Amino acid sequence: MTQREIMLKKIGTYKFALKDLQLYLDTHPHDEMALRKYAEYEAIVEPLVAEFERRFGPLTVSVDNMNKFKWIKNPWPWDIEEDD
Amino acid sequence: MFVYEKQLQYPIKIKRTNPALAKLIISQYGGPDGELGASLRYLSQRYTMPVQELKATLTDIGVEELNHLEMIGTIVYQLTKDLSEEEIKKNGFDAYFVDHTTGVYPSSAAGVPFTAAYIQSKGDPITDLHEDMAAEQKARTTYDNILRMCDDYDVKDPIRFLRAREVVHYQRFGENLRILTDKLDSKNYYQFNPSFDKKCFKK
Repeated sequence: MTQREIMLKKIGTYKFALKDLQLYLDTHPHDEMALRKYAEYEAIVEPLVAEFERRFGPLTVSVDNMNKFKWIKNPWPWDIEEDD
Repeated sequence: MFVYEKQLQYPIKIKRTNPALAKLIISQYGGPDGELGASLRYLSQRYTMPVQELKATLTDIGVEELNHLEMIGTIVYQLTKDLSEEEIKKNGFDAYFVDHTTGVYPSSAAGVPFTAAYIQSKGDPITDLHEDMAAEQKARTTYDNILRMCDDYDVKDPIRFLRAREVVHYQRFGENLRILTDKLDSKNYYQFNPSFDKKCFKK
């Protein structure tokens, strides 16, 4: 795996945990432990996303101050990256 | 509103192409129990849902199904990347190739194009939730069948992930059915349509 893939996998793992908790909270909106877990994972993933976007480009569309629209840059999610 | 994230819900990196397997897996893209139908079913049914838990669940699962659609598209794309004409002929991919080259097209494994007739939006939450629970089980069986036909770990791993999500979604829809019936008159749940006949809710 490339450095980019390793970091993206870590972010994806936390984002998936958040998504699964979100579905659980839809039917258990008062579960204190699940709400705490959600906040905990959110606090972990936010700085990871910021670091990833600084190193490898945007995960959601944005206009950066480099005067280049990095959103269009490969790889897209279905592309296969060559290993380092 | 939707915001696109440039990331798959679960990573996919397939090293060996396999057009014969792609022809089977495309059924979960645009087949009768596939992810396109799943997302359209839930995102369409949610408008007439009378209870907030149901609106939230159908929205959030409907969106997750779009992630799964993208994962299946990625698997099909990677399994058919850079094929030679020889490989296409040898693996029985020629019938698909003649209509779509290696473009990802929503159809079943047998080549039937996607149709909205695969789904229902009945405007009755008890009916719709039963359809949704059945849909999750049908998709789970389809993934089981795909796993029987597949010996490549790179493909099996994300397919196992998708299979597990069908089980979780089934559980969430089951909870929603209970949440709904708990709010209704227990003497006869099926006498009313809880979206249409507002008086059926407990005072």
